[in-house]
Amino acid sequence: MTTKELIEKLGLKPLSKFEHREIKGIFISDMVSDVMTGAKSGNLWLTIQTHKSIVSTANLADLSAIIITSGKNVPQETIDLASKYNIAVLSSSAPTYELAIKLHDLGLDKG
Amino acid sequence: MTIRIKIGIVKEALNATVLEGEVQLEETVEHIYASDLMSDVLAFGLPNSLLLTGLATKQAVISAHMAEFKGVVFLRGKCPKDGADIYARDKHLVLLSTKHDMYDSCLFISSALNEKHHESVGTVEDQTVGDIILKEDFTIGGRDFANAGMVSTEMKEILKKIGFPHELVRRVAISTYEGELNVIMHASRGKVQLLVSPKLIEVVIEDEGPGIPDIALAMQEGFTTATEEMRALGFGSGMGLPNIKRNTSDLNISSEVGKGTIVYMKFQVQEP
Repeated sequence: MTTKELIEKLGLKPLSKFEHREIKGIFISDMVSDVMTGAKSGNLWLTIQTHKSIVSTANLADLSAIIITSGKNVPQETIDLASKYNIAVLSSSAPTYELAIKLHDLGLDKG
Repeated sequence: MTIRIKIGIVKEALNATVLEGEVQLEETVEHIYASDLMSDVLAFGLPNSLLLTGLATKQAVISAHMAEFKGVVFLRGKCPKDGADIYARDKHLVLLSTKHDMYDSCLFISSALNEKHHESVGTVEDQTVGDIILKEDFTIGGRDFANAGMVSTEMKEILKKIGFPHELVRRVAISTYEGELNVIMHASRGKVQLLVSPKLIEVVIEDEGPGIPDIALAMQEGFTTATEEMRALGFGSGMGLPNIKRNTSDLNISSEVGKGTIVYMKFQVQEP
């Protein structure tokens, strides 16, 4: 599934400017250190962390997109930095646990 | 999303080890909260929840306790080594550890929910408010992360013993915890005064520290002056002061740059 399809299917709100890509697997964590250790290339990252460090994290770990869950407000600084580096930052009003179930129901597996 | 699942069933679903709270596996939880950011747990967590987290620290357990959770599941095989288990034992919280990560854990729990039917449990009755006047003083050491949460924990016990409503105690505990963390993160030292009367609880936190140059800015969600180091520990997501405001009947902050800050919190005791 691509980020474009995911956005349509789940009604996610794209916040930054980016190019669509294929999603390969899912990683959930709010700790940058855990993401750097455990996430794989192409992973879709679910988090409530909105600090701009998520942009470089996603960039270095080569993640397909970041979904900020629970309807968290994302600071403009983070959005601008994401757009600069072509990192997809998407917003969902669902809490992390519920979104995880929805993703599974869509057929996305952990990868 | 309100659910009903016994912690013991979650343990089986996650193939988890019980670090603490074997006897509480029969307890039921109504919500699953998946997060590593404790300020969010404090702000949005609901009572009778189970926390799924990769943050294997005592602070995670304290946050769960403040938010009235029933237990914490540490993910990716993590186990806290900082006395979290002793705190959990004391507060009757279940601690589990699973090798699975957040995504798989959510799915396994959801599967277990779909498979099984769980009985409802009775609710605990609140005690009525007594006619007591009380004053207690506490101290907080700057940078004393090891003891972070101890003052608010003690305060919570006192208020519970007096018999204040569950929900009120929770709000006071959360607000005091956030205030306590602010002192530890930014100040050299601080003191907390608890003033209890039948209709009003007041908590005053006064510190010697850098002070807050722009209080309005500090009240904005997401604004933080926490260091990278503090953020790595799970603090400083910029929710502290907004959280306090959300939980108090009245909040007054005065501050002098280079001298310190006084946070004055008022909690009205509502008749049920």
